[in-house]
Amino acid sequence: MTQIDIEGLVKTYEASEDHDVEGNEIVAVDHVDLQIRDEEFLVLVGPSGCGKTTLLRCIAGLESITDGDLRFNGDQVNHLRASERDVAMVFQNYALYPHMTVRENLGFGLKLSTKLPSDDIDRQVVSIAELMGIEDLLPKKPGELSGGQQQRVALGRAIVREPEVFLMDEPLSNLDAKLRSEMRTEIQELQNELGVTTVYVTHDQTEAMAMGDRIAVVNDGRLQQVGVPEELYRNPTNEFVADFIGSPSINLISMDIEGNRLVSEFGFEYEFSDYQVDDVATVRLGIRPEDLEIDSGGTDIEISVVEKMGNENFIYGKLGDKEIVARTDASIRPETGDRVGISFRDEAAYLFDAQSGTALKTKTDTLNAPQTQL
Amino acid sequence: MHEKSKTEALWRFGGYGFLIAAALFMIVPIYWIVIASTLPQSAILSSSGALPQLLPGGHFVENFQALQSRQYVNFMSSVWNSIFIAIVYTVLALILCSMAGFAFAKYEFRFKKSIFAGILATLIIPVNLLVIPLFLVMSTANMTNTYAAVILPWAAYPVGIFFMRQSMQAIPDALLESARMDGASEFQLFYRVAIPSMRSSMAALAVILFLFQWNMFLWPLVVLDTDKFTIPVAITKIMGQQVVAFDQLMVASAVAILPMFVVFLALQKYFVRGILSGAVKE
Repeated sequence: MTQIDIEGLVKTYEASEDHDVEGNEIVAVDHVDLQIRDEEFLVLVGPSGCGKTTLLRCIAGLESITDGDLRFNGDQVNHLRASERDVAMVFQNYALYPHMTVRENLGFGLKLSTKLPSDDIDRQVVSIAELMGIEDLLPKKPGELSGGQQQRVALGRAIVREPEVFLMDEPLSNLDAKLRSEMRTEIQELQNELGVTTVYVTHDQTEAMAMGDRIAVVNDGRLQQVGVPEELYRNPTNEFVADFIGSPSINLISMDIEGNRLVSEFGFEYEFSDYQVDDVATVRLGIRPEDLEIDSGGTDIEISVVEKMGNENFIYGKLGDKEIVARTDASIRPETGDRVGISFRDEAAYLFDAQSGTALKTKTDTLNAPQTQL
Repeated sequence: MHEKSKTEALWRFGGYGFLIAAALFMIVPIYWIVIASTLPQSAILSSSGALPQLLPGGHFVENFQALQSRQYVNFMSSVWNSIFIAIVYTVLALILCSMAGFAFAKYEFRFKKSIFAGILATLIIPVNLLVIPLFLVMSTANMTNTYAAVILPWAAYPVGIFFMRQSMQAIPDALLESARMDGASEFQLFYRVAIPSMRSSMAALAVILFLFQWNMFLWPLVVLDTDKFTIPVAITKIMGQQVVAFDQLMVASAVAILPMFVVFLALQKYFVRGILSGAVKE
């Protein structure tokens, strides 16, 4: 039962790796405010080097916090060592002790952090091994296990200590696609069953959308937006979130504003029927691929690539010099080089301030976006 | 195709030929020591002009007894001195070098690079130059003619520290962090996580350290008296000013080589693995 409160958290490093030389500072995490609720599965997502792993490591106690507050259930834990925070972490490369058997790997934490007699430790190890379906592996060493088995052992090692918080740093990134989606479901089921507050880091937005109760999008060390997956998708606060969430990515086109009309450099024009565009000089128009419709009366594009996925098709084409993608029904299958018309509805369009990236308009179609309390 | 395989075979033949020649070049002196230790002095010296005798004779026991009964040098006690010193030194230096190597590989602290460079720089100073100041230190501390005087000065051996640092760098940080989160203290990280995964490197270093101490000559000669002489020092005492008893000298040399073989053969598997570790990024 742990709620994590992060207030104004800052983490800086010295730019120079040479610790003998005083260098400039690099800000890895920049004033992050975030509340992770009890029993919540929160996913930190962002591109490589955005600071999400550093933030996770600060929560774990593996990195010192430069400034700000980190509280578990209201108690400040900034200065507690990793082992005193009652958190367990699953590492990207599993970090199993190579010289110990699976049994010893699972029991190591209990042996060090509790005064349990070895019989009790062993009993707990066996019950976790049964839960994870790895009881046959107990006498083996990590080197003898497959990637998926190692992953299970790493998860088991985190669970066996019954920690207050699980931290997972891209735990699925070394697995093949099929195993990854299996483990994804398994981790969610485990988390539901155990009800332990979990912070999960990934750079894969699909994984984030599939797993997170809520998702926190991080870029350049700053928190961009926190919300349930659907909210991030439909009501992104800025262009970065809109672009990062969704696959294929949202189509973004720079447009000048002339009255209520949007005009692009290459001549594409759009006029909203019942939406008043804010008074800014230039905007970026965003349309999700599934909101582009093939429509003979629409704007003409030339098809450059058609990706046939079986259940749907991704149609790539050029609008002026801008490549755009439409996601269509599998029955719509134009050939490369064909010219088709495309259109979209007002409600589906996003508008972002071209300067600041702030969202001016997001989706307003019939599906009501859920509101998340922050 | 045919031509190619012919050239390949020729290269392989030449390669093996070279390796065999090089191996013989290494083995012959050692073989000669062993053979000569079984021959009487006359047989060792008689072969001038002709090939030396290449098959063992039956004089080993006589030679050994003569060696044992020499005045001024107690050879067997020098063997025990050498073994004792080399073993204690190896254990102590292994502990110190791996601790220092671990710190340099896995911790960040101020002036780390400079301190490490300083340690490596001490390799430039020849032992001969250190003998007099070291002797003064030992003499002031009343430690001359003690085992400690031979063991301590090189217990933190720069080559060993460098070797262990390079090996320890291969330990993934996540492994140590994981242990930290499991509640391990920094010392537990060292002896429960780092050391067990460094077995082959440590075995390789053990061989290096043992041989280094076993072969050390000048410093033991200076700091030890007759009763504590190590083998290399004792051997020089077998060579008289006028006469050299080659038969006894060869027995002593053969005995001196033996422990090196034992240590190397026992740890050979690890030695090769340790030397190669870190050579290829896995």
